[in-house]
Order: sequence, then structure tokens, then C-alpha cells
Amino acid sequence: MRALVWVLAAAAVAALAIVPFTLSPVMVQFGISMLLFAVLAQGWNIIGGFTGYASFGNSVFFGLGTYGTAVAMVQFHLSFALGLVIGAAVAVAFAVLIGLPVLRLRGHYFAITTLALSEAVAAIISNLDIAGRNQGLILPLIRGDTMFYELSLGLMVLATLTVLWLARSRFGFGLIAIREREDAAEVMGIPTTRYKVMAFALAALFSALAGGIQAYYLTFIDPASAFDLSLNVRMIIMAVFGGAGTVLGPVIGAFLLSGVSEVLASYITGVASLFFGLVIIAAVLFTPKGVIDAARRLPRRGLAYFLDAVRETRL
Amino acid sequence: MSGRDAGERTVLFEARHVTRRFGGLVAVSDVSYRHNQGEILGLIGPNGAGKTTLINLISGTLEPTGGELLFEGRPLKGMAPYRRAHLGIGRTFQLMKPFPGLSVLDNVTAGALFGRQPELAMAKARDLAAHWLEFVGLGEKASQPADALGGPDRKRLELAKALALQPRLLLLDEVMAGLNAVEIDEVVALIQRIRDGGTTILVIEHVVKAIRKLSDRLLVLQYGQLIAEGTAESVLEDPAVIEAYLGRRRG
Ligand SMILES: Nc1ncnc2c1ncn2[C@@H]1O[C@H](COP(=O)(O)OP(=O)(O)OP(=O)(O)O)[C@@H](O)[C@H]1O
Ligand SMILES: [Mg+2]
Repeated sequence: MRALVWVLAAAAVAALAIVPFTLSPVMVQFGISMLLFAVLAQGWNIIGGFTGYASFGNSVFFGLGTYGTAVAMVQFHLSFALGLVIGAAVAVAFAVLIGLPVLRLRGHYFAITTLALSEAVAAIISNLDIAGRNQGLILPLIRGDTMFYELSLGLMVLATLTVLWLARSRFGFGLIAIREREDAAEVMGIPTTRYKVMAFALAALFSALAGGIQAYYLTFIDPASAFDLSLNVRMIIMAVFGGAGTVLGPVIGAFLLSGVSEVLASYITGVASLFFGLVIIAAVLFTPKGVIDAARRLPRRGLAYFLDAVRETRL
Repeated sequence: MSGRDAGERTVLFEARHVTRRFGGLVAVSDVSYRHNQGEILGLIGPNGAGKTTLINLISGTLEPTGGELLFEGRPLKGMAPYRRAHLGIGRTFQLMKPFPGLSVLDNVTAGALFGRQPELAMAKARDLAAHWLEFVGLGEKASQPADALGGPDRKRLELAKALALQPRLLLLDEVMAGLNAVEIDEVVALIQRIRDGGTTILVIEHVVKAIRKLSDRLLVLQYGQLIAEGTAESVLEDPAVIEAYLGRRRG
């Protein structure tokens, strides 16, 4: 069973890899967005799903990655690769600095504080000449949708392999223990502060790399689009819908919801977002533990699965 | 009376004038004692006397507001709880704190992975955890989710989690509360076996019969102050202790 899952996953990656060579450019563009969302959901999974710190501010890492890459390329004429590294380094440094105080907060306090991060950093960036102030930055134009697609796919695979490692490693075990009960974890010898900051930094790393790819791909960035708060809600919903704290859940969630939202948007533009909202509410009510859990237990439990789910959410 | 073999045995842990205030309340007040290597020390006192607070101070969950804690002569001041665990200070929680979403086995594996012993591979840590589950009598429930356990089994799980980090000083906070007479006898035997394995133990307990049987020496706290110290026989006959503790003992 387990082996089968990984064979299927490998086949899926192979199938995804040939998309640019077989499907239309529109599909490739959709694919890039979907894959980058999967990376963001996977990044959130590390801090929210494994460590239990529901960050509403990972968009700040995405934004810093976007700007780090753009500033490096536009103002310093560095290569894209170096730009990505710089964007990621800035985001990781920010995660460590801000994580030390912010990760002392728990629950709602943590969520609310992280929510403010994007706004604050966007305000700072809007006043920096080097970052193009409110006007944003225009990156060199290249035609390379296939390259961006394969890069996004590679990043998604890397993020997922990292989460797979977490699920099996001592470090990941420590994160899960922190999620389950932090004070008990600490007295059992788990360096909770260091581990939480490392998880936050890892989430920042992947989010920032996604941001860097997005910047060069879109060739134009400004504070509003780089530090888009709605990104937070979307990545969280995708991760939770798919299964927070699982290895493949966030990827599946990102794929399914990106697909649903794309289909809805093309058929019924006006009510698309409303409908999308309803789909999500239904999904969260009926499969609160994510589609991975539902797929595993639904065949055995049948309709009772949904009833249990509704009961567990205490409606 | 005191100092009988104080000089001959090695002191593992020492509290020197330890105080902990919560605002105006002095939960632990100027407490000094020595805990010898291999000794079972009983800690008794009425509700709210400061027993749990003392364990919190030793394990690092709380810092003292005054005084000094020494482990093997080394001051613990400012040392994070996880580092104290690495030194070999293990504890249970009076209000039990299992990892609710993990299996019973994984609860204990955490201790085996991160405790005093050098880094273990996951499979080794699980083996060790299984060993401690057997030891406390939870072997058959290893794969159950921890939050499915009943009260007495949760107490055993607390014990197994603390044991898995291979403590040198084990702090037990009312691990017998809520157990029946047979279960209490089992846990008393367990604690004796742990000590026979070389572990130094501090036991907080309200069950007098058990504490009398287990303890090499007893400490009595009242309103945060150490009001008596000595063998179980002498302490339990001390009029001040009878007045303070036994007279107001719950149940
Ligand atoms: N974190 C805290 N903040 C404020 N007051 C506290 C705190 N922890 C303990 N106290 C207070 O300190 C006193 C000692 O509490 P403690 O829990 O140490 O008593 P105890 O001897 O363990 O009692 P019991 O037998 O009921 O477990 C109590 O008055 C308690 O209310
Ligand atoms: Mg207590």
C-alpha cells in the first residue's frame, strides 16, 4: 500500500514533467500557479501542520523572496539563480529574527501577530527607493514558461521530499511533539525554541523560493501583489483541506482547489469566489482532517465518516 | 539526628535557600535540602504547600526568584528545561500531559529520541520505548492513541515517558493519585525497581502508606516552607507534621 503510493507519486511527477511538451501554453501557465501554490501550502505545512503554529503570515516570506530576487536582478544585475538565493536568504534571516519573539506566542495571538507581518513589511518596502517604492520593479523579460514550469515542479518535489524527511526524522518528531504539547516536549529534552525557529525558517525558505520564481516569471512586481494577504488564506485552506501534518496532503489540496477555482472562474466568473467559498466550507466541515484522511477511512466507514466528522467539529 | 551518613554519600542534587514567589504569594520559601545519589526522597505536604512548584523549579519549567539549585554541584540557573533533561533530570506532570494525537508508543519514543542518551536512530528509539512500556505494564496498549487511555494508564504513560529519557534524577508528581490499592502496590514496586537500576528519585505523594514504604527520607512542606526532614518514622510522628499535614490530608 505504502509502496504503491510512492510509485503513483513518482508517476504523477513524471506525468507533470511532460506537461509543457504536451499541453497548451494556457495549461502550463495554470500549472505554474498550481505548483507554486503547492510549494506555499507545503511550506505552511511545516510550521502549521507539523509544528502546530498556524501562521497567517507566510505571505511575508513569499514577498521577501519576490523582492529579494527582483532587487538583486534589477538593481545589482545579478543572475536569476543568485537572485533566488538572495531572496531566500533574506526571508530565512527575517524568519529567524522575527520568529524568536513571535514564536513565544501561542494560538490566536500567534496567528494575529503573523497576520500583521505582511502589511508591515509591505509598508517598509513601499518607501524604499531600491525596491522601486510604490511603483514596483520591472524584471528583464524572458520567454521561458517551460523553464519556469519545470523549476516550479522541481521546487514542489523538493519541498515535498523535505516534508517526507520531516515525517521520518528526529527533528520532525520533535516538531510534532511541540505541536501536541509544548511544555511536555521541552522537559523531554526537545529544544523547543530552536526547533520552532528552524521550522519557521524552513517554511520561509520554500515560500521565498516560490516568490522568486513568481517575480521573474511575471516580470513585474509591486508591494500589493508581492505581499498579498489573501495568499495566506489560500495556502492554509489548501494545506488543511488536503491534510495538515501529512506529507502529500498539502500538494493534493493545492492541486484540487487550484483546479476547482480555475474551472469555476472560467464558467461562472461572477459567483466563482462565492461558490469556491462554499466548496471550502463544505470540505472543512465534512473532511476536517483533510482529504488524505477521508480517502483512507471513507471506504471503510462509508457515510458514517461524514457524520463523525460533523460531530467532531462540534456543530 | 541529621547528618548521619551525609558525608559518606555523594550528593546528586542540592537546593540552597530556594524561593519562588508568585506576586505576593510565596509558593516555595527558603527551602534547602540535599538529595543523595540513589536515594528515594519523599516529599509530602498539604494541598498548595508548594510541592509541584518545587518540581517545576528543578525541571526548569519555572525559575526560582531566590536561592540556588545545584545538580552535581553545577548551578542550574538559567538553564533551559530541555538541557536539564539532557543532564538527566526527568519528571512527570501531576496534571498528566500526554501527546494526545500520538500513539502510546510514540509518546514514549519522544523521550528515547531526545533524552539523556546520545542520539538514537528512530528504530532504536522505538525499541527502547517499547521496553519502557513493557516495564510499566502498558506493552499491550502501545499502538493505541494516547488520548484513549484511562486515568491509571495515563499515570503509567507519564512514568514511561519520563523513564525513556534515562533520567538520573526522576521527579514524580503524584503518580499514584486516583489508583486503587492493587495499582498502588504495583507502582510502588515499579519505583523500587527504578531505584535499583541506579536512578535517584523524588516522590511527591499523598498516599502515606506508599510514601512510608518507599522513602529513605521524607521532606515535609507547609506554606512553602520545609517544616520537617528525616526518616519516615520520625517525620510522621512529629507533632508539627501531624498537625500540618495529616490533620488536613485530603480523603
Ligand atoms: N504558575 C503559578 N502562578 C501563580 N500561582 C501559582 C502557580 N503555580 C502554583 N501557584 C500557587 O502556589 C501554591 C503552591 O502550589 P503547588 O501546585 O506547588 O502546590 P502543591 O503542593 O503541589 O499542591 P497539591 O497537593 O494540590 O498538588 C498554590 O497556592 C498555587 O496556587
Ligand atoms: Mg501538586
